[in-house]
Amino acid sequence: MKRDQPIIHVVDDDPSFRASTGELLTAFRYRVALYESAAQLLEKPPTSEDGCILLDLQMKGLNGLQLQDELLARQIKLPIVFVTAYGDIPASVQAIKAGAEDFLTKPVPKERLFVAIGRALERSKQVREQDDRHALLRALVSQLTPREYEIFDMLVHGKLNKEIAHALGTAERTIKFHRQHVMQKCQAKSLPQLVLMAERLGML
Amino acid sequence: MDDQRPNCWVTLVGTSAGKQSRNGTGVMQVLSHNKSDIVHEDPACGVHGLSQIEHNCRCSGAFFRHLLGAYQRVQRHIVGLLPQRIRRRAPDVLSLSTTTQLTGAMVAFFLLIVGVNSAAAETKRVLILHSFGRDFLPFSEFSGLFREQLVKAYPNQIDLYEASLETARHSDPQDDAPLLGYLRSLFSNRKLDLIVTIGGPAARFIQRYRSEVIFLSTPMMITAIEQRLVDIAALPASDTVIAFNLNFAAAIDNILQVLPMTTDVNVIFGNSPLERYWVEEARRELQSFTDRIKFIWLNELPFDEIRRRVASLPPKSAIFYVLFAVDAAGVPHAGDRPLQELRVHANAPIFTFIDTYLGRGIVGGPLLSHASLSRLAVEAAVPVLGGKTPTTVSVASVGMETPVYDWRELQRWNIEESRLPAGSIVQFREPGLWERYRLQIIAVAVALLIEAAFSAWLLAERHRRRRAELESRGRLLETIHLNRTAAAGALSASIAHELNQPLGAIQNYADAAEQYLKADPPNLDRALTILDNIRRDDQRAAEIIMHLRGLLKKRSEIDLQEFDLNLAVGDAIHILEPEALKRGVSLIASQAKVALPVRADQIHLQQVILNLALNGLDAMQGCDPSTAELTIQSAMIGKAQAEVSVTDSGVGVPSNLLSKVFETFFTTKQHGTGLGLSIARTIIETYGGKIWAENREGGGAAFRFTLPLAKRVAT
Repeated sequence: MKRDQPIIHVVDDDPSFRASTGELLTAFRYRVALYESAAQLLEKPPTSEDGCILLDLQMKGLNGLQLQDELLARQIKLPIVFVTAYGDIPASVQAIKAGAEDFLTKPVPKERLFVAIGRALERSKQVREQDDRHALLRALVSQLTPREYEIFDMLVHGKLNKEIAHALGTAERTIKFHRQHVMQKCQAKSLPQLVLMAERLGML
Repeated sequence: MDDQRPNCWVTLVGTSAGKQSRNGTGVMQVLSHNKSDIVHEDPACGVHGLSQIEHNCRCSGAFFRHLLGAYQRVQRHIVGLLPQRIRRRAPDVLSLSTTTQLTGAMVAFFLLIVGVNSAAAETKRVLILHSFGRDFLPFSEFSGLFREQLVKAYPNQIDLYEASLETARHSDPQDDAPLLGYLRSLFSNRKLDLIVTIGGPAARFIQRYRSEVIFLSTPMMITAIEQRLVDIAALPASDTVIAFNLNFAAAIDNILQVLPMTTDVNVIFGNSPLERYWVEEARRELQSFTDRIKFIWLNELPFDEIRRRVASLPPKSAIFYVLFAVDAAGVPHAGDRPLQELRVHANAPIFTFIDTYLGRGIVGGPLLSHASLSRLAVEAAVPVLGGKTPTTVSVASVGMETPVYDWRELQRWNIEESRLPAGSIVQFREPGLWERYRLQIIAVAVALLIEAAFSAWLLAERHRRRRAELESRGRLLETIHLNRTAAAGALSASIAHELNQPLGAIQNYADAAEQYLKADPPNLDRALTILDNIRRDDQRAAEIIMHLRGLLKKRSEIDLQEFDLNLAVGDAIHILEPEALKRGVSLIASQAKVALPVRADQIHLQQVILNLALNGLDAMQGCDPSTAELTIQSAMIGKAQAEVSVTDSGVGVPSNLLSKVFETFFTTKQHGTGLGLSIARTIIETYGGKIWAENREGGGAAFRFTLPLAKRVAT
């Protein structure tokens, strides 16, 4: 199994359904992790690898919706597919609002399950890629000296070199020099690219 | 005779002259003691009225002396000579005299003769002359009837005299004189109007002395005589003959009719001249039977010997009893004693042809009827007494009549009634149980009938009651079932979802297995493991369905069984789990460590727990899910009770309603039926338990029920 293959996390307190889902997914060459309760999942939260969570709605102890909240709170962004035996409309609405990828009712035909899982994994991939890009940007930005970060912040907020020099009490030429370093460190070829970067980092 | 005197004579007879006065006093005492209406005491005559009696004695002195002479010979017939009206009293008087103090000193007796003075013109004197004595059967029966009927049939007074030719039992003709003398004396002054002779000797006596003054002009009626013994030509025209015809052949025919196997007939006769005559007659008449029957003539044997002989007769014997007046030893036999003794000793049936003996031990057959004979005699006597002297000798006779049998004898000798001649009469039939106890039997039958009717009514009532009970129980069961169905309905959503778990699992496994089999090479081991899992999940689905079916199944009878109450609790928890999960309520089960054997219908108890639990779940509707708890607990209380409690953390029950929640149709829910708890109570009480509700201190309600343990549990 490839190291980077996504993991399907199955959380269900019904042993037979949990086991059978694991079996099915294994047969179709998914990587599977089984949890008999929400608490067990939270004990050892999934890493940022690609993957998704198949979550039972009604469980003893923490139920599916509560686990969803908890995961959000913990910034664990694995997409969640609810699989429930007792699906009712209020529960499904709440789940979807909270960002659930899908809401399935047992017994689930495998095609639907795989479609849902496929979508979830796709989403997971996107989220991870986005996260990766963010991380790259943050890494670039983190190379800036405090003075450079100041100038970066003022640049993306549309200040001219002259204005920055005035604000910092330095020569315009010094500013141009720092600006050059900022552009290099951030691997930006133009000012707009730099602005876009800042936007993605939520600085605007 | 002085008309002023009382119309009676008292005759005093004594042997001791010296004691006359004393004797007279004694007699007087007896008479006054007897309060006899035939003595009229004159108060003026003194204390004892002795002079009056002596006077009367003097008046009839001649007759007195004559009678005294005759007395010793006719001693036994003195009473018989008394006029009919007085005779009844005489024994009383005699017996009283023997009880007086006089008996030792004197051989005195007295005799009362009442001579009727008044209406003498109408009074007819009749002399009845017996042959063998007044009480000699069978004649006595005839004479008794005749006397009785004559007195009744004749309108005027009859002065009856009776005398008996005791001598007829013997063969000595010299014995006639005293009786003749006595009769002469008696009737010299009294004109006889009719002489009735009973039996042959008496008839011959009168005929012998017909020339006597006292008999000469008196019509004679010869009765109770066999026709062939009467020489009608020798009789004067004024005489009447009332005879009977003996038919020996008919009597023997009768024996052969009822006992055809008879070979020996023992003929019983006495040995007096008359009887000897009849023996000869019978021998002659029965000559024709001698080829079929051996006749044994016992007349020349003394009675004791006869009695001995009849006690050991060979089989197929019969006894033919004709007449027994004097036996060969010269001993006279009166009454029916000979017959009675023979009957006691004989080992063969006794026949005769005289109806007198019927009922005294004879089998029966065609019999001579004394009643018929007597009727004929009376019919002939009445006109003669009325003064119509016949101008020719009139002769009437009776023959053997319709056969009559004694039922008891028929039984004794095993003679079937079908053997009797047509038209026979069977008498003395002993009443059967029915005849004898008819009233009692009817009473008992009626009582039984009433009892039976009463029992039937009770049974019907019981049946009706039982049917009503069954119907009522059926309705209750139906209601309980409806309630259970409703509970099942309330749980159906969660049960259906519960069912989806194994079904979903099965589908997953099937898909997985398919995938393994499609692989190259196919992963058979894995597929086989999966099939095992499928089987397990299928089993689980089946169990869920079974639980549901248990709830929905309709029962017409309570399925009473002994089981562990923990099982019912476990099953209920199993059914409730998905519902509690669905509602986000924690279901906490705590079962007793020991078995709690109770006797009930398991489904019913499960239903009670479900009802209580559903109530609890409803009570927690809208509560904070993190604190919502439903606890179901079973425990043993003491040593004889099992308790189940269902506790919720809901709103609890208002304390004023705690006792009302079990009432039918009481509900606090908007859509409740008010039946759940009421049915729970009905079920628990049916099995002898108790159910109640209470509020918990920390909020919420607890419903508890107890049931008696089916047996003591060893702890």
